[in-house]
Amino acid sequence: MLPNIYKGDYRLLAIAPLTLMAIAIFFIPSIKMGVDFEGGTLVTLSLSEAVDGEALQAQLQQEGLDAKVRVFDTSIGYRAEIEVPQSEKLVRAEELKVEFNEVLPEVAQLEVLAYQNSSFEPEYNAKREQIEAIADELFTIAEMKGRNVESVNELQKDFSDAYSTVYSSYQESISGPIDKHVSYESISVQTVSPVLSTKFMEKVINVVVMSAVLSVILVFLFFKSIPPSLAVLTGAFCDIVIALGAMGLFAIPLTLPSFAALMMLVGYSLDTDILLTTRILKRRGDPRENAYDAMKTGLTMSGTGMIAFGALFVLALMTHIPTYYEISAVALAGLVGDMFATWGINGVLILHYALKRGGA
Amino acid sequence: MELFENKKFLAMLFVLAAFTAGIVFYPIHAGTILIFALLVFGTFTLMWKEPQIKIAGLVMLVLLAVANIGVNGMKYGIDFSGGTRIPVVLERSVDQNTMDEMVQNIKKRASVLGLTEVKVRAIGDSEINVEIPSSDPESISFIEETIAKQGVYQGIVDGKVAVSGENIFTNLIRSLGPQERVAMAKIDAQGQRHAPDWGVSFSVDKEGAEQFAEVARGKADFPIYMYLDRPTDAVLFYEKAEFTKDIIPDSSEKESLKALEDALALENNQDIPVYIIEDLPENFTAPGNDTKAIISANASQGTKDMLEGLGFTIVEKTDAEIEPEFIRISSGVLILVKLEAVGLLTAPTLGSGITGGNLNYDYTITGSVDAVDPQEKALEAAEKAKSIESILKGGALPVQISLGSRTTLPASLGSEFLKMSLVAIGIALITIAVVVGLRYQKVTATMPIVLISLAELTILLSILGSFTIDLAAMAGIIAAIGVGVDAQIVITDELLKRDERSTSEKINLAFGIIKTNATVAIFSMVPLLFSGLVEVIGFAISTMLGSLLGYMLTRPAYAAIVEKVITAERKGSTSEGNAL
Repeated sequence: MLPNIYKGDYRLLAIAPLTLMAIAIFFIPSIKMGVDFEGGTLVTLSLSEAVDGEALQAQLQQEGLDAKVRVFDTSIGYRAEIEVPQSEKLVRAEELKVEFNEVLPEVAQLEVLAYQNSSFEPEYNAKREQIEAIADELFTIAEMKGRNVESVNELQKDFSDAYSTVYSSYQESISGPIDKHVSYESISVQTVSPVLSTKFMEKVINVVVMSAVLSVILVFLFFKSIPPSLAVLTGAFCDIVIALGAMGLFAIPLTLPSFAALMMLVGYSLDTDILLTTRILKRRGDPRENAYDAMKTGLTMSGTGMIAFGALFVLALMTHIPTYYEISAVALAGLVGDMFATWGINGVLILHYALKRGGA
Repeated sequence: MELFENKKFLAMLFVLAAFTAGIVFYPIHAGTILIFALLVFGTFTLMWKEPQIKIAGLVMLVLLAVANIGVNGMKYGIDFSGGTRIPVVLERSVDQNTMDEMVQNIKKRASVLGLTEVKVRAIGDSEINVEIPSSDPESISFIEETIAKQGVYQGIVDGKVAVSGENIFTNLIRSLGPQERVAMAKIDAQGQRHAPDWGVSFSVDKEGAEQFAEVARGKADFPIYMYLDRPTDAVLFYEKAEFTKDIIPDSSEKESLKALEDALALENNQDIPVYIIEDLPENFTAPGNDTKAIISANASQGTKDMLEGLGFTIVEKTDAEIEPEFIRISSGVLILVKLEAVGLLTAPTLGSGITGGNLNYDYTITGSVDAVDPQEKALEAAEKAKSIESILKGGALPVQISLGSRTTLPASLGSEFLKMSLVAIGIALITIAVVVGLRYQKVTATMPIVLISLAELTILLSILGSFTIDLAAMAGIIAAIGVGVDAQIVITDELLKRDERSTSEKINLAFGIIKTNATVAIFSMVPLLFSGLVEVIGFAISTMLGSLLGYMLTRPAYAAIVEKVITAERKGSTSEGNAL
C-alpha cells in the first residue's frame, strides 16, 4: 500500500501539480475548436473497404474542396472523417440574410404607405436602395442576376432563392466530390452554420459562468468558512486547467460533448476536494493521518471513475464514435489532473490550515 | 413475515402499485413517473430509519424500472436504432414561442407517413433536427418534400383569383389588438355595438391591389374563398348518403350542391367539378385533364373501383376533411365556408368599403367566435386569428426554412454500436468489482457494492430509455457507473476505520460528505441541463440522475446493508452468508 505522503514536508507535494499547471497553461492556447464552435461541416462515412486518406484528400482538393481527411480502421469496419471549413460565401450570405430581414419589415411598410401617399416616397426610396444593395451583394455571391422588380415583396422571393442557391451549392460542393471519389455505406453530415456556432459559444459561456457562480456559492454554504472554501475551489480550478491543457496537448477538440465532460469534471473534482477537506477538518485525530485516509478513499473513487471512463475510451478507440472519444478522453485527463490537484494542491493548502489552526 | 405487518412497508407497496399502474396506462409519461417515483421512494428511505424499509425502497424502484422496460421497452436515438436525421435551417432566429410552434408543425409534417417515432427538436434558435427511424431513400425524400413545402394562398371571389399569396407582404401580416378591434365596432339594428372578436390585417403590393380592385369590383357581400394549396387537376365525388348528412337543415341538396359549385369555380378551366356518385350520367368520362378523384376514405370499394376504371387516381380524405361546412349569410345566400379536402379553409364576406374598384393596399379580416365564457372566447379568437395569419402566409410555418444534408445511419451499424456500448457497461462493472474486491479484500463489502451498482444501472437505463438514449446519454450512463460506487466507497471506508467513534457517528459523517457531493455534482450540471444544448442534455440528465439516485436510494440502502454486515463481523457473532 501507498505510504503516507503527508508525513514530512508535505509542501513539496505541490511541486508536481504546479509543474503540471505550468505545462497545461502552455498548451491551452493550442486547443482545437471542434465543428460545433468553429462552424463548418463534418462528414463521417462508413466504408466497406479501406481508402487511402491522403490520396482522397488530394483528390478532393483537386475538386476545389479544402478538406481534411482521416481514415480509421475500427472494429466495425472503416470510417472516414472529412472536415470542411466554413465557406466564406455562406458566412457572408448568412450575415446578409440577417441584415435583409432586419430592414425588410420597414421597407415593406414604407412601400405600402408610399403607394397611398407620395410624401413617403423619398423615405421609401432611400430604404429601398439600402435593401437593394444588400440583396445585390447576395445575388453576386449566388452568381445570379438581380431582376428588376417592382415590389420589395418580389425582391424578398428572389433573395430567398439566392440564399437557397448559396446554401445548396455549399452542400453540393461537399457532397458532389465525395460521392464522386468514395463509395460509402452510410453518410453522416453535420453542418454547423456560423450563426449556430456563435449561439453555441454564447450558451457555453453562460453555462460556464453560471456553473462557476453556483459552485462558489455551494462550497461557501457548506464550509461556512473562507479558507477551506478557497482551498476546495483552488483544487477544482487547477483540475479544470490541467484538463484543458491535456485537450491542447492531445488534440482533443473542444466540442459540445467534451464541454459537457468538463462541466462534469467540475462536480467530480469538487467531490474529492470536499471529501478531503471534510475528513481533515471534521474527523478527530492527526490531520496528516486523516489526509492520508481521505487519499485512500479518494483514489479508490478516482480509480472507479477511471475504470468507467477507461471502458468508454477503449470503446471510443474501437468504434471511433467522436462523442464517446471526446467525453472519455477529457474525463480521463481530468481524473488524472484531479489526483494531482486534490492531493497536491488542495491537500497542502488544507493541511497547512489545519495544522496552523491546531497549533502544531 | 413481520414485514407485511409493518404499516410503512404496506404504504410503500400501495405507492408501488400506483406507480406501476401509471407506467402501464400512461406510457408517454413513464420517464417522468419514474423520476417522481425515485423522489418518493427516496424520501421514504431518507425519512424512515428501519434498514428493511431502506432496502425495500431500492428493491421496489428496481422492480418498477424492470416493469417499465418490460411493458414500454426502451427508446433509442438514431445512432443506436438506425435512421435518418434531417437538419431544418430556419430563415432567421426565432423566439421560444415561434420555435415551439415550428417544432409542432414540422413534427406534424414529418409524420406524414405515419411513422410514430419521428423526433423533432430545436437546436439553438435557428435550427431544428428531424430524426426518422427509417433509412429508405424514397420515404425520406417524400418526407423532406413535405417538410419543405411552402403552401400557395389564393383568395377567390366569384370564380376569379382576387388575392394571391405572392402579392401579400408576409411580414406585414398581423393580428389586430383589442383597441383596433373596438374601433371597428358596428352598431346593429337594436343599437348595440359589436366589436369583432378577432381580426387580422395584411397589405398587398401594387400588382395585388390592382388585381383585387378589378376582381372585387361590385362584389360587396360576396364571399372570398380562401384556399391553401388548391388542387387544379382534381374532381370531387360524394356518395349521396355522405353528402345529404352534411347539408344544413334549412337547405336542400340542390341548393347545397350549387353552393359547393360556386365555391369551387375558377376561371380558365381550373374549377373543381363536383359530382354525386348516384347521379353520375351514363357514359361519364373524366373531364379535361382532371386526373385525381377526391373521395371519402369511407366510400364503398365499388365506387372507388369504378372511378379507377374511369382513369382517375384516387385521393382518399378523412370524414373531417371532406365534410363541407355551409352557412347562410345575412343576405340569405347559402355559402360553403370550409372544405379541407380541396384546401378551402375559410370564406369571409367582402365588406362594401373595398368593392368600389379603388386601389386598396391594406385589408383586414375580422370575425366573431361562438364561445360565451370570456376566457374561452379570447382563446378561441386568438386561435382563429392565428390560423388566418398562417393561411395568408401560405402555410403553417411562421418562418421560411431550408433543409440541410441528411445523415443516414443503417440499423445494422446502430445495433452494433448499442451492443458494444452494453459490453462496455458490463466490462466497467466487472472491472470495478475486481478493483473494489482487491481494495477491501472482503466479499461482504464488495458484493453489496456490485449488487447496488447493478440496481442503479437498471433504474438509470429504465428512466433514460423512457425518453431517448442517444450517444451522449449512453456516455453518461457509463460515467454514472463509475460515479455510482463513490458514495459506497466513502461509507465503507468510514465504517472500516477502527477508532473510538460509534457506527452511527461514522455513518453520519459519511452521509454528510455524500450529501454535499451529490448536491455539488447535481448543481454543477444544472446550467448545462437548462442551456438548451440538446446534443448533450442526455449526458447531463444521466449524470445528474446517477447522483440523485445514489443519494436518495442506493446509499441509504447500502449503508443499511453494510452497517449490519460490518458491525456483525466486528462482534464475530454472525457469519458472512447470513448477513447478506
